[in-house]
Amino acid sequence: MSGDRPTAAMRQVSWAWVGLIALAAAAILIPLMFGGVAQLNLLVLVLLYSSLAQAWNILGGFAGQVSLGNAAFFGIGAYTSTMMLIEWNLSPWLGMIAGAVLAAVFAVIIGYPVFRLGGHYFAIATIALGEIMLIMFANWGFVGGAVGLSIPFIRGEDRRPADSWLFMQFNLNREGYLIIGIALAALVTVIAILIQRSKIGYYLRAIKNDELAARTLGVNVLRYKLIAIVISAALTAMLGTFYAQYLLFIDPETTMRLELSVLIALVAILGGVGTVAGPLIGAAVLIPLSELTRSALGGAGNTLDLVLYGGLIIIISVFQPNGLVALTRRGGKGRSTALPTDRQEAMAEEAPLLGGGDGR
Amino acid sequence: MLRRRLSLVGLLIVIALVMPLTLFSRPVVAQDSAACPEGSTGSSDGPVRIGVILPLSGSLASVGGDERAALELAAQIANDDMADLALPLAAGAGLPNLGGAEVELVFADSQGRAEVGQSEAQRLIDQEGVVALFGAYQSAVTKTASAVAERSGIPFVNGASSSPDLTEQGYIYFFRTSPHDINFSQSIFDYLELLASDHGAEINGISLFYEDTDFGVNSAAAETAEAEARGMPLAGEVRYRANATSLTSEVQALQGQDANILIPSSYTTDSILLMQTARNLGYLPDVIVAQDAGFVDPAFLDAIGADAEGVASRAAFSIDIADVKPAAGAVNDLYRQMAGKDLYDVPARGFTGMNVLLDAINRACSTDPELIRQALIDTNLSADDTIMPWNGVQFDETGQNTLGTGIIVQFQDGEYRTVFPTEFAVAEPVYPLEPWDDR
Repeated sequence: MSGDRPTAAMRQVSWAWVGLIALAAAAILIPLMFGGVAQLNLLVLVLLYSSLAQAWNILGGFAGQVSLGNAAFFGIGAYTSTMMLIEWNLSPWLGMIAGAVLAAVFAVIIGYPVFRLGGHYFAIATIALGEIMLIMFANWGFVGGAVGLSIPFIRGEDRRPADSWLFMQFNLNREGYLIIGIALAALVTVIAILIQRSKIGYYLRAIKNDELAARTLGVNVLRYKLIAIVISAALTAMLGTFYAQYLLFIDPETTMRLELSVLIALVAILGGVGTVAGPLIGAAVLIPLSELTRSALGGAGNTLDLVLYGGLIIIISVFQPNGLVALTRRGGKGRSTALPTDRQEAMAEEAPLLGGGDGR
Repeated sequence: MLRRRLSLVGLLIVIALVMPLTLFSRPVVAQDSAACPEGSTGSSDGPVRIGVILPLSGSLASVGGDERAALELAAQIANDDMADLALPLAAGAGLPNLGGAEVELVFADSQGRAEVGQSEAQRLIDQEGVVALFGAYQSAVTKTASAVAERSGIPFVNGASSSPDLTEQGYIYFFRTSPHDINFSQSIFDYLELLASDHGAEINGISLFYEDTDFGVNSAAAETAEAEARGMPLAGEVRYRANATSLTSEVQALQGQDANILIPSSYTTDSILLMQTARNLGYLPDVIVAQDAGFVDPAFLDAIGADAEGVASRAAFSIDIADVKPAAGAVNDLYRQMAGKDLYDVPARGFTGMNVLLDAINRACSTDPELIRQALIDTNLSADDTIMPWNGVQFDETGQNTLGTGIIVQFQDGEYRTVFPTEFAVAEPVYPLEPWDDR
């Protein structure tokens, strides 16, 4: 809102690069050092959720349009490539592009009416949208209905599952998934940075802070919201294709359930809404936390792992309401002792969720 | 600015520390792949570790917990010396062909979610060093978990997932001991043919009544195929939204079809509502034979009471099997001590699947996954080696047990009695259903 915006943005960008490079280095080095497939699985999940949260962030963070239906785009990507693979034996790489295009078209069709809803009503409409997609796919026999779709293994001559770059399947050397995961995460992050630095990024933040003011200043609000949702949807759909190839089985529950939409938003919000580094940090903390608590305690069957996981999320959100990324902005003071007005100021500057500028 | 920079570095260090924590939880696993020579026994360092994936939290936690108890019982029977129990591996402590090695089950929670099943399967193989996997109750979770086993070359034994697809994927490491939806539908129609031949039943039409889910749709498809294959007349089908608040128009549709056989596929609340609505509207076919689920839930019998009299259902297990197979009674006594309740469908199937896996590991004389797979292929258990109403366990090339069958139970005098197939029956089928007013 004031003159220091550009420098703030630039500062964020450089931090994001530091975070990204550190994450990429860790992602490459750790499996090389320890070579475990389970660690690789964890890293792929971290990369996947950080990318999903980053794609969500373009719409939910930059433009302030909190979507709780991003799993619908994810599902479209997963189903498009899988159907193309099963029906016509087309490479998932083509399916990934087709899924992205389809999700973008779908985003425009639904974005047009839904963006007329303001604030919380937009979030509610996206929940309904995700649920409609879930029920539709669960009852649509052509795409497997509630039973789901299995992607057949690429098999070598000895009948054992094999690797194929063309069909995006890595059964022997799982590193292939890691490489694609890193590439996708880099792609999504670079796009987020470019948007953040470009004219679009400023327009989106203007829309988030005060839609009416942005309109008065000549910003075509609907058009830029549509741009944001199209980019967000297309990237999310590409990740959906990757996930389908990773899991080799999809059903509506796995790809489209509300919980997934919420988790995507949660990673971005806990990490830091509206920042490029936020989703990366959020995923790097949240996903290992979930996997660690479950692997350590889940087998006991007393759900202590879920209690612990939930408790840690509550602790983070209480002490870091602006996300973990805010730790980097307040000189490490996790718990702000500033006066309420100062805190509000800081919150509005850093991460006004749901149009944080409204109250001022 | 400097402080900020420092704190970011601190945060990254924290992340870098959190992530590798997983790495150090990897136990050292004894690798023993020495096959025992003919006629002698091999040896093993440490216990034989088997990974088990079940829904231990979420809406299926209760059934997952019951199956877990049954699997622990199966391991305990193998580990302890229980010579008086007529089951494989009961006599003698541990697995005799592996030098009396103990069986250790490593449990993991799928949370009822397919993607968690995949993560946990990977972790169990990679970090816990299990030699075989077992699970995962829900068909969707079994699909992703068994895909991990297939690509890792680790045998996966499934006890209770009923989706026919699972053995149609061309997997060579997947084995299912239980019958699937198509087998169960065959049992239902075999029972109808028995009623026609031995009990003077006339089949003038069959109505299918099913919920709009994976379970309902798959069941109806299998029933339709069976009816057409046997030339039985299908009067029509009624598909309804699961967890219905009213079934009045659906029951009126059934009345309109005027068939004397009804095959419903519904979970508990819908099955109760169906019976209450049928009574209120005076709809009564000669035979109701259900696809398991709600119709064998104790809550169904509590809610319906005498109106359930004569209703039949397919099932995989019924506790009165103990009259025919004494081992089932002994296992049930042990299970009741552990779980505080009687064995039922799911735990009984899990118990049997684990028995089959342990028997195979013992015959493999080794913990080498390839030898275990070969031993599973060679599995040949007789009818007396299981507690199930089966003719035994033998796998075909898809990994499906060909000797497993469903049974038909009928509600007679306040409890479910096995009425079909005849070799496991403890009561004669009652035909037709009594009029509502005579109950």
